Amino acid sequence: MDQLSQHLTNALVLGGTYALLGIGLTLIFGIMRVVNFTHGELYTFGAYMTFFAVSVAGANFFLALALATLVGVLLGAAIEVVLLRPLRSSDIDTTMIVMIGAWIAMQNGEQLIWGGVAKSIPTPFPTAPLVVGPVSVDWLRIFVFTAAILLIIGAHSLIHHTRFGRAMRATFADRDTAALMGINIGLVHTATFALGSGLAAAAGALLGPVFVVTATMGNLIALKAFAIVILGGLGNFTGAAIGGFILAFVEELGAGYISSGYRDAMGFLLIILVLMFRPTGLFRRAERIS
Amino acid sequence: MRALAPLAGLAALLAVPLVVTDQYALHILITTGIFIIAAMSLNLLLGYTGQLSLGHIGFFGIGAYVSALCSLGFQLEFTDRLVLTVAPKPVWLSFVIAVATAALFGFLIGKLSFKVRGAYFVIVTLSFAEVARLVALNWVSLTQGPMALNNIPPFTLGLSDAWQLTFYRKLPNYFLMIAIGAGAYLLIARLVRSRLGRAMVALKENESLATSVGIDVTRYLVLAAVVSAGIAGAAGSFYAHYVRIIDPDIFLFIYTVTMVIMIVTGGKGTLLGPIVGGILFGFIPPVLREVAGPELQWIIYGLIMIVVVFFLPEGIVPAVTRAWAARRGRAATASARSPAGS
Amino acid sequence: MIIRTSVAALLMSGAASLLALPALAQGTIKIGVNQPLTGPVAASGQYVTNGARIAADQINAAGGILGSKIELVIEDNKSNPTEAAAAAEKLIVRDKVPVMLGAWSSTFTLAVMPKLMEYEVPMVVETSSSGKITESGNPWIFRIAPTTSMETKDFAKKIDKFAIKRANFLVVNNDFGIDAATKFSELVKSHGGTVGVVERMDPTAQDVSAQLAKIKASDADTLFITTSVEQLTLVLRQAQALRLTQRIITTGGSQAPDQLIEHAGPAAEGSYHLVFFTPWFPENAPNADVAVGLVNEWKKRGYQFAGLTEGFRGYDGILTIAAAIKEAGKAEPKAIQQAFWKVKVKGANGDIAFEKSGPAGKESGQNVPNVYVIQIKDGKVTLPAF
Repeated sequence: MDQLSQHLTNALVLGGTYALLGIGLTLIFGIMRVVNFTHGELYTFGAYMTFFAVSVAGANFFLALALATLVGVLLGAAIEVVLLRPLRSSDIDTTMIVMIGAWIAMQNGEQLIWGGVAKSIPTPFPTAPLVVGPVSVDWLRIFVFTAAILLIIGAHSLIHHTRFGRAMRATFADRDTAALMGINIGLVHTATFALGSGLAAAAGALLGPVFVVTATMGNLIALKAFAIVILGGLGNFTGAAIGGFILAFVEELGAGYISSGYRDAMGFLLIILVLMFRPTGLFRRAERIS
Repeated sequence: MRALAPLAGLAALLAVPLVVTDQYALHILITTGIFIIAAMSLNLLLGYTGQLSLGHIGFFGIGAYVSALCSLGFQLEFTDRLVLTVAPKPVWLSFVIAVATAALFGFLIGKLSFKVRGAYFVIVTLSFAEVARLVALNWVSLTQGPMALNNIPPFTLGLSDAWQLTFYRKLPNYFLMIAIGAGAYLLIARLVRSRLGRAMVALKENESLATSVGIDVTRYLVLAAVVSAGIAGAAGSFYAHYVRIIDPDIFLFIYTVTMVIMIVTGGKGTLLGPIVGGILFGFIPPVLREVAGPELQWIIYGLIMIVVVFFLPEGIVPAVTRAWAARRGRAATASARSPAGS
Repeated sequence: MIIRTSVAALLMSGAASLLALPALAQGTIKIGVNQPLTGPVAASGQYVTNGARIAADQINAAGGILGSKIELVIEDNKSNPTEAAAAAEKLIVRDKVPVMLGAWSSTFTLAVMPKLMEYEVPMVVETSSSGKITESGNPWIFRIAPTTSMETKDFAKKIDKFAIKRANFLVVNNDFGIDAATKFSELVKSHGGTVGVVERMDPTAQDVSAQLAKIKASDADTLFITTSVEQLTLVLRQAQALRLTQRIITTGGSQAPDQLIEHAGPAAEGSYHLVFFTPWFPENAPNADVAVGLVNEWKKRGYQFAGLTEGFRGYDGILTIAAAIKEAGKAEPKAIQQAFWKVKVKGANGDIAFEKSGPAGKESGQNVPNVYVIQIKDGKVTLPAF
């Protein structure tokens, strides 16, 4: 019983960051239809930026997180303007190849700058954990969870309760009509990609201190983010958030009670099962054969 | 004239070792060749049917592991009583079993994943390869997990112990690679020029139309997946017996990416595309090596990919063919190639 | 991305020979170094390589060997066994090195070993501890690192002080970790203790809280952990977050305790570590002058002090290779192999000489090095009270 409550707590905390990654990618992959392989790199970038700000520049930890997220937004905007804007009328494969190229270049850029040795980010949180009955949690992880939830709520309100959010939804629902209504389509694309990227950078900035920072840390995470998006249904914001938590619970309980070695496989098996029995994803009608 | 070109190409490839005698260079040629074969098989799905399968390395890896395990012998313990012991098999038989197993997986994955299209298809195939990697990593009693399967026997051809040819050295392995490559090329060429190939292209161009004129879409797609997976399995098996060590990282996503790059640069849906793209991406890195460190090389590699897509979106082979046709004052013939995109 | 394909790596590193022959420095003796410089265990590989560089520079500054300078040809095995074999192939076939140092992890070394047999080139093993390496009948292997059995034999002298009743194990899922779990379980049992759970983790795993939750649920007094420093840091941090109170003992000598203190902080407090070099007290080493010389040079170059517990391996490895080349009188693989049996080297760990190990007629060489237990106390490395 104690072990179970510990597993559930771990899963809840992990789920927050998975959800954050998922909603960032669902904006780009689900709504913009860009198979975005740079998502994992934005995650890595966020972590290295935090490391740089805290350990090299000596900034305050919380300020560093905000800075890393902001720089992630800017980098995302730059990627959209330089690489995706000229290819807006191309098919999904073409943009995918470009994103793979960008991914390779970025990952090796990180490797070149920071070297192969993992970096560790110091945090201001006490190392003694919070203990509630049989369960104990790291203060850092509680902070990471809270920050992730706040970011998810923030992004949700941005999309559903602002003019920008309306413009964005209109653009991706019907681009021509949106353009006729005077919406700046180019700006909406850039802003959406930047928002998704910023969320990935934030996830990296938050998880970087929990684990260690390496140039390849984004690879598996990017694959998982794709899985979360599919679980939730392409372009379904709430679905992606829930998908993130489902993945975390499946991984943690699978690792605890089935086999810890297959922890990372759980998510992919889940995807295959879900698509076998419900090819539409869990929460939305799917893209079927026309 | 057209029929002679592939023969001339084959002759040129066979003559390469006359010029390249450095063992290490030959080694590079063999490993590049193996990847070109894998890329050719992926081209059948990606280029001809328009299905973006990002789990192709899964078939390559399954071919490698099955072949290695059969040739080394293995034990499967279901329960204490029920133990399946497989004695070491000759390498040629392992090769055949590997191809068949990979094709079987092609069938299963095809059946499963062709239920969905587009982004969903991409993710299902990608998940398949990742699950395969994690199984290879964790099923330690069978695959040795991260400790790798080592001492895999080299390729052997022969009827009996007295009549055996063992492929230890680079040169015979090079010719074997060319033989497997030529076989794969012929198979793919015949397939895409058959009725089946025309059906595949039709459904790539317009799937609803193809369905409405009575093409059984899923059946053709599954068939393409079976052939494609079988060839990838053959490449994987040869790889295992050539490098003689494999570990779960053989399933890494980046290998599929390498194949996709080769195909897209060379020209999707053309027979020569993966070969041209493969040779190009086989030779860019060593050129870069003379001027830059490893990370910088990969950065340039990534940038070249972007530039190629921006300026040669159809790939090299279609662009060159068209330029050639234009020079001859003829309209580009549409056979043997198709417009980019799907 | 680190493109971890042997294909890609070979393309990058090797096809150059199709285009241009590298300008070879004349009159140098090449030594191949096969280490993980990128990937999950990169830090350790870089430390070993730094140690090797110091030894090479010191030898060259003293006039080299046989009138030639030595040149290290360093290849990255990317923390992967297939890449380790590919790197060895490249070093032997393209760079034509007559002798190598490598390949850090037992798994990488085992992957390289068939290449040594195929091309008949000797290799000094500086870190790997799996028994299989020297017992499989590969006469090209000369190991200066202790095997896990040697580590347990040494630890057996101290185990009663720990009074272990029940021990859990958390080990990395490869030759290194599995061998340690087996040998140390036997040791615990033979000293009246029992074994609780044995959990494994993937070498690249970052989140081990599920394994730790299981370990916590099993009531034991001691947890043995075997992995490299990077993963160990994460394990200690997560163990603390779960309030794991079992006494922690780490094995394998790749823990870089100072790095643990820096990165894991209080989570490392009180933990015990089996190490093979004690740079905190070099003057206590058997060959104090060598150890002090290494420690001083390491500090002078500004390398991280924490890396010395790995760095000495590369240093001793190159000293041993240089001694063998000198003994052989020529830089040829076979002659160097024969010479290894005769060398006596004063290394930073202690005196190095090879004993025969493995099947008769094709023995590998095995050195008997020193093993130490240290404890992290008040954020410092100390010798335990006993």
